[in-house]
Amino acid sequence: MMTMLKELAAELIGMFVGETRLTISVLVVAAAVGSLVDFIGLDPLLGGAALLFGCLILLVESVCRSARAGAS
Amino acid sequence: MTWSTVAPAVTAAFLASLVEVVEAFTIVLAVATLRGWRPAALGTTAGLAVLAGIVLLLGPLLDRVPISSLQLAIGILLLLFGMGWLRKASLRAAGVIPLHDEDAIFSAEAAELTEQASRRRRNLGWAAGVTALKAVLLEGLEVVFIVIAVGAGRGLLLPASLGALAACALILAIGAVVHRPLSRVPENTLKFGVGVMLSAFGVFWTGEGLGIAWPGQDLALLLFAALFLGAGLIGASLARKLSVEFA
Repeated sequence: MMTMLKELAAELIGMFVGETRLTISVLVVAAAVGSLVDFIGLDPLLGGAALLFGCLILLVESVCRSARAGAS
Repeated sequence: MTWSTVAPAVTAAFLASLVEVVEAFTIVLAVATLRGWRPAALGTTAGLAVLAGIVLLLGPLLDRVPISSLQLAIGILLLLFGMGWLRKASLRAAGVIPLHDEDAIFSAEAAELTEQASRRRRNLGWAAGVTALKAVLLEGLEVVFIVIAVGAGRGLLLPASLGALAACALILAIGAVVHRPLSRVPENTLKFGVGVMLSAFGVFWTGEGLGIAWPGQDLALLLFAALFLGAGLIGASLARKLSVEFA
Protein backbone atom coordinates (compact mmCIF):
# COMPACT_ATOMS: atom_id res chain seq x y z
CA MET A 1 0.00 0.00 0.00
CA MET A 2 2.78 2.41 1.00
CA THR A 3 4.72 1.50 -2.13
CA MET A 4 1.70 2.29 -4.27
CA LEU A 5 1.15 5.63 -2.52
CA LYS A 6 4.82 6.49 -3.07
CA GLU A 7 4.50 5.58 -6.75
CA LEU A 8 1.35 7.73 -6.99
CA ALA A 9 3.16 10.67 -5.38
CA ALA A 10 6.13 10.20 -7.71
CA GLU A 11 3.79 10.05 -10.71
CA LEU A 12 2.04 13.26 -9.61
CA ILE A 13 5.32 15.12 -9.12
CA GLY A 14 6.75 13.69 -12.36
CA MET A 15 3.73 15.01 -14.26
CA PHE A 16 4.81 18.59 -13.61
CA VAL A 17 8.53 18.35 -12.97
CA GLY A 18 9.84 16.54 -16.04
CA GLU A 19 13.01 18.59 -16.09
CA THR A 20 13.79 20.69 -13.03
CA ARG A 21 15.45 23.59 -14.85
CA LEU A 22 12.58 23.95 -17.33
CA THR A 23 10.02 23.80 -14.51
CA ILE A 24 11.80 26.49 -12.46
CA SER A 25 12.31 28.69 -15.52
CA VAL A 26 8.63 28.55 -16.49
CA LEU A 27 7.61 29.40 -12.91
CA VAL A 28 10.06 32.32 -12.85
CA VAL A 29 8.74 33.69 -16.17
CA ALA A 30 5.11 33.42 -14.99
CA ALA A 31 5.96 35.06 -11.64
CA ALA A 32 7.96 37.83 -13.35
CA VAL A 33 5.13 38.59 -15.80
CA GLY A 34 2.58 38.59 -12.95
CA SER A 35 4.73 40.98 -10.89
CA LEU A 36 5.40 43.31 -13.82
CA VAL A 37 1.70 43.51 -14.72
CA ASP A 38 0.43 43.84 -11.14
CA PHE A 39 3.08 46.01 -9.46
CA ILE A 40 4.89 47.93 -12.21
CA GLY A 41 1.79 48.50 -14.33
CA LEU A 42 3.17 46.86 -17.48
CA ASP A 43 0.64 46.72 -20.32
CA PRO A 44 -1.04 43.30 -19.85
CA LEU A 45 -0.70 42.54 -23.56
CA LEU A 46 3.06 43.08 -23.38
CA GLY A 47 3.09 40.83 -20.34
CA GLY A 48 1.17 38.20 -22.32
CA ALA A 49 3.64 38.42 -25.18
CA ALA A 50 6.54 38.04 -22.72
CA LEU A 51 4.86 34.96 -21.20
CA LEU A 52 4.21 33.37 -24.60
CA PHE A 53 7.61 34.03 -26.17
CA GLY A 54 9.42 33.31 -22.90
CA CYS A 55 7.85 29.83 -22.82
CA LEU A 56 8.64 29.20 -26.50
CA ILE A 57 12.30 30.15 -26.00
CA LEU A 58 12.55 28.06 -22.82
CA LEU A 59 11.14 25.04 -24.65
CA VAL A 60 13.65 25.22 -27.52
CA GLU A 61 16.51 25.88 -25.09
CA SER A 62 15.54 22.89 -22.92
CA VAL A 63 15.32 20.54 -25.92
CA CYS A 64 18.71 21.70 -27.24
CA ARG A 65 20.37 21.41 -23.81
CA SER A 66 19.01 17.87 -23.34
CA ALA A 67 20.19 16.93 -26.84
CA ARG A 68 23.72 18.16 -26.04
CA ALA A 69 23.72 16.33 -22.70
CA GLY A 70 22.22 13.17 -24.21
CA ALA A 71 24.71 13.05 -27.03
CA SER A 72 27.81 13.72 -24.97
CA MET B 1 -20.01 27.75 -25.18
CA THR B 2 -18.49 28.17 -28.64
CA TRP B 3 -16.95 25.72 -31.08
CA SER B 4 -13.54 27.38 -30.74
CA THR B 5 -13.66 26.74 -26.97
CA VAL B 6 -15.15 23.24 -26.95
CA ALA B 7 -13.21 21.68 -29.84
CA PRO B 8 -9.67 22.20 -28.47
CA ALA B 9 -10.74 20.99 -24.99
CA VAL B 10 -12.45 17.84 -26.29
CA THR B 11 -9.63 17.12 -28.77
CA ALA B 12 -6.93 17.56 -26.12
CA ALA B 13 -8.81 15.27 -23.68
CA PHE B 14 -9.43 12.67 -26.41
CA LEU B 15 -5.86 12.55 -27.75
CA ALA B 16 -4.19 12.62 -24.33
CA SER B 17 -6.49 9.87 -23.11
CA LEU B 18 -5.73 7.83 -26.22
CA VAL B 19 -2.01 7.85 -25.33
CA GLU B 20 -2.54 7.01 -21.67
CA VAL B 21 -5.17 4.32 -22.30
CA VAL B 22 -2.84 2.58 -24.79
CA GLU B 23 -0.14 2.48 -22.08
CA ALA B 24 -2.53 1.15 -19.42
CA PHE B 25 -4.05 -1.34 -21.87
CA THR B 26 -0.62 -2.87 -22.57
CA ILE B 27 -0.10 -3.71 -18.89
CA VAL B 28 -3.68 -4.89 -18.31
CA LEU B 29 -3.34 -7.14 -21.37
CA ALA B 30 -0.09 -8.59 -19.99
CA VAL B 31 -1.88 -9.35 -16.71
CA ALA B 32 -4.84 -10.91 -18.53
CA THR B 33 -2.64 -13.01 -20.81
CA LEU B 34 -0.57 -14.44 -17.96
CA ARG B 35 -3.03 -14.54 -15.04
CA GLY B 36 -6.45 -14.50 -16.68
CA TRP B 37 -9.10 -11.84 -17.25
CA ARG B 38 -10.54 -11.98 -13.71
CA PRO B 39 -7.66 -10.21 -11.86
CA ALA B 40 -7.17 -7.90 -14.86
CA ALA B 41 -10.82 -6.87 -14.86
CA LEU B 42 -10.99 -6.53 -11.07
CA GLY B 43 -7.80 -4.41 -10.96
CA THR B 44 -9.03 -2.23 -13.82
CA THR B 45 -12.43 -1.72 -12.19
CA ALA B 46 -10.83 -0.84 -8.85
CA GLY B 47 -8.47 1.64 -10.58
CA LEU B 48 -11.36 3.28 -12.45
CA ALA B 49 -13.37 3.50 -9.20
CA VAL B 50 -10.51 5.31 -7.43
CA LEU B 51 -10.13 7.69 -10.39
CA ALA B 52 -13.88 8.38 -10.40
CA GLY B 53 -13.65 9.08 -6.66
CA ILE B 54 -10.86 11.60 -7.25
CA VAL B 55 -12.96 13.41 -9.91
CA LEU B 56 -16.06 13.42 -7.70
CA LEU B 57 -14.01 14.77 -4.78
CA LEU B 58 -12.12 17.44 -6.74
CA GLY B 59 -15.00 18.58 -8.99
CA PRO B 60 -17.14 20.28 -6.31
CA LEU B 61 -14.02 21.68 -4.57
CA LEU B 62 -12.95 23.44 -7.77
CA ASP B 63 -16.30 25.28 -7.93
CA ARG B 64 -15.38 27.05 -4.68
CA VAL B 65 -12.10 28.49 -6.00
CA PRO B 66 -12.31 32.02 -7.52
CA ILE B 67 -12.17 31.76 -11.31
CA SER B 68 -9.01 33.88 -11.80
CA SER B 69 -7.07 31.89 -9.18
CA LEU B 70 -8.29 28.65 -10.71
CA GLN B 71 -7.26 29.76 -14.21
CA LEU B 72 -3.84 30.87 -12.98
CA ALA B 73 -3.15 27.65 -11.02
CA ILE B 74 -4.42 25.33 -13.76
CA GLY B 75 -2.74 27.44 -16.45
CA ILE B 76 0.67 27.11 -14.81
CA LEU B 77 0.18 23.37 -14.19
CA LEU B 78 -0.88 22.92 -17.82
CA LEU B 79 2.17 24.85 -19.00
CA LEU B 80 4.49 22.63 -16.96
CA PHE B 81 2.70 19.45 -18.01
CA GLY B 82 2.27 20.37 -21.69
CA MET B 83 5.80 21.71 -22.15
CA GLY B 84 7.14 18.56 -20.47
CA TRP B 85 5.31 16.37 -22.99
CA LEU B 86 6.34 18.59 -25.90
CA ARG B 87 9.99 18.57 -24.78
CA LYS B 88 10.06 14.76 -24.57
CA ALA B 89 8.20 14.37 -27.88
CA SER B 90 10.72 16.70 -29.58
CA LEU B 91 13.63 14.71 -28.14
CA ARG B 92 12.01 11.42 -29.26
CA ALA B 93 11.35 12.84 -32.74
CA ALA B 94 15.04 13.85 -32.90
CA GLY B 95 16.12 10.35 -31.86
CA VAL B 96 17.82 11.62 -28.70
CA ILE B 97 15.63 9.44 -26.45
CA PRO B 98 14.02 6.18 -27.62
CA LEU B 99 10.41 5.95 -28.72
CA HIS B 100 7.87 4.36 -26.36
CA ASP B 101 7.79 0.64 -27.24
CA GLU B 102 4.52 -1.05 -26.25
CA ASP B 103 5.82 -4.51 -27.27
CA ALA B 104 8.86 -4.07 -24.99
CA ILE B 105 6.65 -2.87 -22.11
CA PHE B 106 4.35 -5.87 -22.62
CA SER B 107 7.34 -8.25 -22.52
CA ALA B 108 8.84 -6.57 -19.42
CA GLU B 109 5.51 -6.71 -17.57
CA ALA B 110 5.00 -10.35 -18.58
CA ALA B 111 8.53 -11.21 -17.38
CA GLU B 112 7.88 -9.46 -14.05
CA LEU B 113 4.64 -11.41 -13.50
CA THR B 114 6.35 -14.69 -14.45
CA GLU B 115 9.15 -13.95 -11.99
CA GLN B 116 6.58 -13.26 -9.27
CA ALA B 117 4.98 -16.61 -10.09
CA SER B 118 8.29 -18.46 -9.69
CA ARG B 119 9.08 -16.67 -6.39
CA ARG B 120 5.75 -17.31 -4.66
CA ARG B 121 2.88 -19.51 -5.60
CA ARG B 122 0.28 -17.90 -3.36
CA ASN B 123 -1.69 -14.70 -3.94
CA LEU B 124 -0.77 -14.55 -7.61
CA GLY B 125 -4.25 -13.34 -8.56
CA TRP B 126 -3.96 -10.56 -5.97
CA ALA B 127 -0.54 -9.46 -7.26
CA ALA B 128 -1.81 -9.49 -10.86
CA GLY B 129 -4.90 -7.49 -9.87
CA VAL B 130 -2.72 -4.91 -8.09
CA THR B 131 -0.53 -4.62 -11.18
CA ALA B 132 -3.60 -3.85 -13.33
CA LEU B 133 -4.94 -1.42 -10.71
CA LYS B 134 -1.61 0.45 -10.57
CA ALA B 135 -1.42 0.73 -14.35
CA VAL B 136 -4.96 2.13 -14.61
CA LEU B 137 -4.46 4.44 -11.63
CA LEU B 138 -1.07 5.84 -12.67
CA GLU B 139 -1.96 6.38 -16.34
CA GLY B 140 -5.48 7.50 -15.42
CA LEU B 141 -4.18 10.24 -13.11
CA GLU B 142 -2.83 12.12 -16.12
CA VAL B 143 -6.17 11.73 -17.92
CA VAL B 144 -8.03 13.04 -14.86
CA PHE B 145 -5.70 16.03 -14.62
CA ILE B 146 -6.09 16.86 -18.31
CA VAL B 147 -9.89 16.53 -18.20
CA ILE B 148 -10.09 18.76 -15.12
CA ALA B 149 -7.53 21.22 -16.47
CA VAL B 150 -9.09 21.74 -19.90
CA GLY B 151 -12.65 21.45 -18.60
CA ALA B 152 -12.77 23.31 -15.28
CA GLY B 153 -13.29 27.05 -15.23
CA ARG B 154 -15.19 27.10 -18.51
CA GLY B 155 -17.96 24.63 -17.77
CA LEU B 156 -16.39 22.10 -20.13
CA LEU B 157 -15.91 19.23 -17.68
CA LEU B 158 -18.65 17.16 -19.32
CA PRO B 159 -17.46 17.55 -22.95
CA ALA B 160 -13.83 16.92 -21.87
CA SER B 161 -14.91 13.81 -19.92
CA LEU B 162 -16.82 12.57 -22.96
CA GLY B 163 -13.67 13.07 -25.07
CA ALA B 164 -11.68 10.94 -22.59
CA LEU B 165 -14.42 8.28 -22.44
CA ALA B 166 -14.52 8.11 -26.25
CA ALA B 167 -10.77 7.41 -26.26
CA CYS B 168 -11.22 4.61 -23.67
CA ALA B 169 -14.03 3.07 -25.71
CA LEU B 170 -12.01 3.26 -28.93
CA ILE B 171 -8.91 1.60 -27.43
CA LEU B 172 -10.97 -1.09 -25.68
CA ALA B 173 -12.82 -1.84 -28.92
CA ILE B 174 -9.59 -2.07 -30.94
CA GLY B 175 -7.89 -4.04 -28.15
CA ALA B 176 -10.77 -6.52 -27.99
CA VAL B 177 -10.38 -7.17 -31.72
CA VAL B 178 -6.57 -7.32 -32.09
CA HIS B 179 -5.90 -8.83 -28.64
CA ARG B 180 -2.25 -7.73 -28.55
CA PRO B 181 -0.31 -4.58 -27.52
CA LEU B 182 -1.27 -1.60 -29.70
CA SER B 183 2.27 -0.96 -30.89
CA ARG B 184 1.26 0.70 -34.16
CA VAL B 185 -0.37 3.73 -32.55
CA PRO B 186 1.68 6.80 -33.56
CA GLU B 187 2.25 7.58 -29.91
CA ASN B 188 4.94 10.22 -30.26
CA THR B 189 2.96 12.14 -32.87
CA LEU B 190 -0.04 12.09 -30.52
CA LYS B 191 2.12 13.21 -27.59
CA PHE B 192 3.57 16.00 -29.73
CA GLY B 193 0.06 17.16 -30.64
CA VAL B 194 -1.23 16.97 -27.08
CA GLY B 195 1.87 18.76 -25.76
CA VAL B 196 1.23 21.57 -28.26
CA MET B 197 -2.43 21.90 -27.25
CA LEU B 198 -1.83 21.75 -23.50
CA SER B 199 0.99 24.30 -23.70
CA ALA B 200 -1.30 26.61 -25.70
CA PHE B 201 -4.05 26.21 -23.08
CA GLY B 202 -1.44 26.80 -20.37
CA VAL B 203 -0.31 30.17 -21.78
CA PHE B 204 -3.91 31.20 -22.46
CA TRP B 205 -5.18 30.45 -18.95
CA THR B 206 -2.09 31.67 -17.12
CA GLY B 207 -2.52 34.95 -19.02
CA GLU B 208 -6.24 35.14 -18.21
CA GLY B 209 -5.47 34.40 -14.56
CA LEU B 210 -3.03 37.33 -14.61
CA GLY B 211 -5.71 39.61 -16.03
CA ILE B 212 -4.56 39.59 -19.67
CA ALA B 213 -7.38 39.96 -22.19
CA TRP B 214 -6.09 38.08 -25.23
CA PRO B 215 -6.94 39.64 -28.59
CA GLY B 216 -9.40 37.43 -30.48
CA GLN B 217 -10.29 35.71 -27.17
CA ASP B 218 -10.51 31.92 -27.69
CA LEU B 219 -9.14 32.17 -31.23
CA ALA B 220 -5.79 33.18 -29.70
CA LEU B 221 -5.49 29.49 -28.69
CA LEU B 222 -5.01 28.56 -32.35
CA LEU B 223 -2.16 31.06 -32.74
CA PHE B 224 -0.51 29.81 -29.54
CA ALA B 225 -0.85 26.20 -30.72
CA ALA B 226 0.75 27.09 -34.07
CA LEU B 227 3.65 28.82 -32.29
CA PHE B 228 4.23 25.89 -29.90
CA LEU B 229 4.07 23.47 -32.84
CA GLY B 230 6.72 25.56 -34.62
CA ALA B 231 8.90 25.73 -31.50
CA GLY B 232 8.61 21.96 -30.99
CA LEU B 233 9.57 21.25 -34.59
CA ILE B 234 12.48 23.73 -34.47
CA GLY B 235 13.61 22.16 -31.18
CA ALA B 236 13.49 18.65 -32.71
CA SER B 237 15.42 19.78 -35.77
CA LEU B 238 18.11 21.54 -33.69
CA ALA B 239 18.31 18.56 -31.30
CA ARG B 240 18.88 16.19 -34.24
CA LYS B 241 21.79 18.36 -35.48
CA LEU B 242 23.24 18.79 -31.97
CA SER B 243 23.09 15.08 -31.16
CA VAL B 244 25.05 14.31 -34.35
CA GLU B 245 27.49 17.17 -33.75
CA PHE B 246 28.22 16.23 -30.10
CA ALA B 247 28.19 12.43 -30.65
